Order: sequence, then C-alpha cells, then structure tokens
Amino acid sequence: MNPTERIIRTLEGSPVDRVPTFCAGIEDRTYNEVLGKPLIPNQLLMNNPIAEGLFDRWGPKLTRYLFQPNVTLTMEKRIKAAAVLGFDATWGVYDETFIVLDSKTMARFSGSIFNLEPDGFGNMTYMYRCPGITTREEFEAWPHWPDSDDIAHRTYTFYRKMISRYGEKICLLAQGSAYGIQESMQWALGFERVPLWIRREKDLIDRYIAMGEELCMKTAIALIDAGVRVILQPDDFAFKSGPFMRPKQIDELFGPSYRRIINAVHACGAKFVLHSCGDNTLLFDTFISWGVDGLHAYEPTSNVDIYREKKLHGDRVTIMGGVGIDYLLTERSQDDEVVAEVKKLIRELGPGGRFMIGPAHSISSIPANKLRVMLEAARTFGSYPIAVS
Amino acid sequence: MKESVEAVCSAVVDLDIDAILDLVNACLEEGVLPLEIVEHGFSKGLAVVGERFETGEYFLADLIMAGEVVKEAMPLLEAKMNPGDAARRGKVILATVEGDIHEIGKNIVAFILSANGYEVIDLGVDVPASRIIDTALATGARLVGLSALLSTMVGSIRNVVDSASAAGLRDSLRVVIGGACTSEELKKEMGADAYGETAIDALRIFNTYSEADNHVR
Repeated sequence: MNPTERIIRTLEGSPVDRVPTFCAGIEDRTYNEVLGKPLIPNQLLMNNPIAEGLFDRWGPKLTRYLFQPNVTLTMEKRIKAAAVLGFDATWGVYDETFIVLDSKTMARFSGSIFNLEPDGFGNMTYMYRCPGITTREEFEAWPHWPDSDDIAHRTYTFYRKMISRYGEKICLLAQGSAYGIQESMQWALGFERVPLWIRREKDLIDRYIAMGEELCMKTAIALIDAGVRVILQPDDFAFKSGPFMRPKQIDELFGPSYRRIINAVHACGAKFVLHSCGDNTLLFDTFISWGVDGLHAYEPTSNVDIYREKKLHGDRVTIMGGVGIDYLLTERSQDDEVVAEVKKLIRELGPGGRFMIGPAHSISSIPANKLRVMLEAARTFGSYPIAVS
Repeated sequence: MKESVEAVCSAVVDLDIDAILDLVNACLEEGVLPLEIVEHGFSKGLAVVGERFETGEYFLADLIMAGEVVKEAMPLLEAKMNPGDAARRGKVILATVEGDIHEIGKNIVAFILSANGYEVIDLGVDVPASRIIDTALATGARLVGLSALLSTMVGSIRNVVDSASAAGLRDSLRVVIGGACTSEELKKEMGADAYGETAIDALRIFNTYSEADNHVR
C-alpha cells in the first residue's frame, strides 16, 4: 500500500495496513536540520542593507521577483523534508498571498498586515500585526485583491512539479494560495471589529466571503487538476477559550461556502480536510455537516479531548494529529515520553481506523530528531490489527 | 431600579446596538443620572453577558458586541458626567511582552476593560519591561496586564516582575498574565500575581484588585 492509497483509504474509513503518519507543515528550522542548512541563510537574504533598501523603496514591485521565489523554494523544502523523514502525508502549501510593503512589513492580498522578522533560527518568518481594512472606504480601495484565475494557474503549476517530484513518496494534503475564508476576514477587518461589521456592514461581509469562496474554490480545483487527491484548507474558527462566534452563526455565515467547496472537491473525486486551531469542541458537528473527510488540530493545549472526539465522531470523520508540540515535540521532552504518547494514541484512536498520527500543529522549533522518534514509534506500533498493550 | 434603566441593561444583554441610543436618551429625559445608567444599565448588563460567556451561552464575538453596544451610547453620557466618573475603576496598563507582537487577545481585554469603566493605557506590542514600569510610575497605575503568545518569550514576564521589584513597586503593582502560552503554573514560575484564561477572567481579576484597592483607600 503506497502512502497516497493509505491516506485516501483512511479518509474514507476503509481498512489500511497501519496507522498513517501526517505532518503539519515542517518549518524552516526543522527542514534545515533534515535537508542541510543553505549556504546563505534565508534571514541574510532579507536582512542586509542592500535588500532592506530595495524593499523599503520598491517592495511591492520586487515581491514577485526577489521575495516570491524564496517563499516558493521554502514551500518545496517543507514537502521534501517530510518525504525524506518518511511521513505518509504532509500539509503542502503554495503561498503567494504576500506583498512586501517594506523590509519589515508585508500585506496579505486578502487585507491584513504582517511583520516580517527573524525566527531566531536564522530564517525569516511573519507575525500578524493588524488589519489592513478598517473602514468601508478602505475596503473599496484595498489595492491588493488578487486575480483568482492567475493565482489558481500558478497554484496548478507549483503542484504539478511537486506531484511529479514527490508524489510517489508522500501524499500531499495540499493548500493553494488561499487561506481560510473566516480567518482571512478576521485578519483583514480586525477581530474586535468583525462582530460590529456583521451587524452594520453585512453587505461587505457577504462580499468578502464570496471573494474568499471564489479563491478557495478555484485553487482547490486547480490543485485537483494538478493531481492532488486531498485538499487541506486551514481556517482557525476557535481560540483557546472556544469558538469566536456562536456555532450557529459560523454555520450561517461560512457553511454555505464551505459546503459548495467541499461538494465540488468531492465531485472531482478528491477528499477535503479542514485544519482549525483552538478549542473546536462545539464546532466539530458543524464541520462534519459541511462534509469534511478529515479534521486536524485537536490541540491538547486548547483543552480539546481527542479521545472523547474519537468516541463521538470517529466513525464519521478522520481524526488527524494528537502529538503535542508544547512539550513532547520539543527539546525538553525525553524520547521515551514521545514513544509512550504515540503508543497511547495508537491504542486509543487506532482501532476502527480513521486516524492519522502526527504533530498537533506546525511550529518552527520542533527538532527533527523528535519527529524521527515519533515516526519510528508509529511504524513500530501502528500496524493493524492494533496490538499495543 | 427604574424601568428605563432596566431596558438599557436588557439592550446590553441582548446586544441590541440599534436600540441603545434611544433607550439611554429616554433615561436622561426621565432625569436618571448618567452614573446610574452606567452602573445599573451598562455594568449590570455587561456582568450578565460575562456570566453567559462563562456558561457557554455567549461567545467571544458576543462579548465584543456587548462592548460595542456600550461604546455606542457612552459619548452621550460622558458629555453629562463629571470629570473622573468615566474611569471610576482605575487605570490598567496593558502590553504584549517584549519579543512578542501578538495583540488580538490584548485588544479584546482592552475593549472589555474600557467598556467596564477602566482607563486602559495600552502600550501595544513588544513592550520592554522598563517602559511598563516607567508608565506605572508616571501614571500611578497599579494594575498591569501582560499578554504573551510565544512560549519563547515568557521570560519577558519575569523581566517585568523583576523590574517592578527593582523600582520598589512590587508590593503595590498587580501583574496579571494571559495569552496562549500562559497558565497558572507559568504565573507561579514567573512570579506574577494572577492568570486569566479569558477576557472575562481578566475583568474579574482586575475588578477584585480594584475593589480591594478602593476598600483600602
């Protein structure tokens, strides 16, 4: 059974030979450990007086030629590192959402502003700074809305290459250049403003959601055209304290779009996985009603009880993740602790299938050796029928 | 309580932003004092919203919307209030710790505290300990809320606590922490005074401190 067959069958709830392994985005520090550090650190490419001067003066114009190639290379390294490590599946991202405004600032084309900064491991990363759209006038004047057909075309081109290079080694759970409809809206308009906008500027909210749906839909279809079998769409609907909005409101606002996207993905013969951070306990039924095949995050640090979810929903959706990144997949843990957790997860969640084991999230400080320990334990104890004592 | 003030309270609880201005105007026309509307209309309504958030009936967006309802009518009252009435619960310094630039949680706490009568001094993100202590000394604020999302930056909380000690403020300054990477254990480890998991936790903690301080005075 090859990785893609194992993943597809697990998402369908069909029997497989062993519990598949999944990785949620291997970040820079980790892929450098796996693939070797680049001659010129990524951070140096952006953090030098010449690059800073150029980006400060012509940032938006230089994004495609000086910035985007580096981002695209990073996206490929993530996939390659996951394949080298031996995961069955990884979250692949093609990210063309950023426009460099100056050497310290980026905008996402969907309306938000981010800081561009070092990650502490010699690489550049980004952190959300603030909304880019705070008034109706700014919404109308936002200059960076993308052409979704162009984005879909470049998403297709990237994944054609990735499928031809890595498709036999690893199953790509692919995200195009489109982030979640809801989370993009929160970042663009500001978390504190969204409730009022929903009440007072509903027409703009509806237009934003429609634009997000179009982008997600077109990139999803482009991914499938490129040979991708599983779409992974991130959209963080919850915080540590639970859903941002009432589940009913989330369903009313975003459910119709996601139902249409998922129906289209299914009609093309592909599967759909939703990644949502935070405590989604009150939302899992909603997500399942939209038609998702798999769900990822189940963050232990957000009080999500993955074992309870297996009992409640394990026959209707594939549960993905489980291994904590706050302690287990850090330098502070012992290898024995990682192995013990993998055994426990496989013992409790493996029977009946519909479970993929992997990190509960992506993070830049996961050491590669901890992923190797996790993978080895999953291969050792994950064969069906599960026989972990 | 007068029926008109009860109606203001209900509008806050029902998140009825479209009705609030008319209801507050009706109170004022009846001769109800602005502070009474704040105390028995807004504060009581926000307290009910907070309770509903804690029981899971309301969500974060509802908390924010309740704050918006209050904000909508506050200018009407502020124009008629005596100076000093608005920030009757005291000053709170809020900051995301040095090295961390996440501000969503902090902004939500700021919003909830403002709506509940605090004067919020929001220092923004990536704030060095020295600036927090300087602000406390300059403004007399003795309540500090620190937000941290990145686990790599939790040491910055300790820096604030240590700087407060060095400035001779440790006994009078209350340091409350919150954010994705924080916990009750981290509070103990960093020497902070309290940990709030949610914005409503933060409000309750600051209310407790504010009431204790007012009682002492």
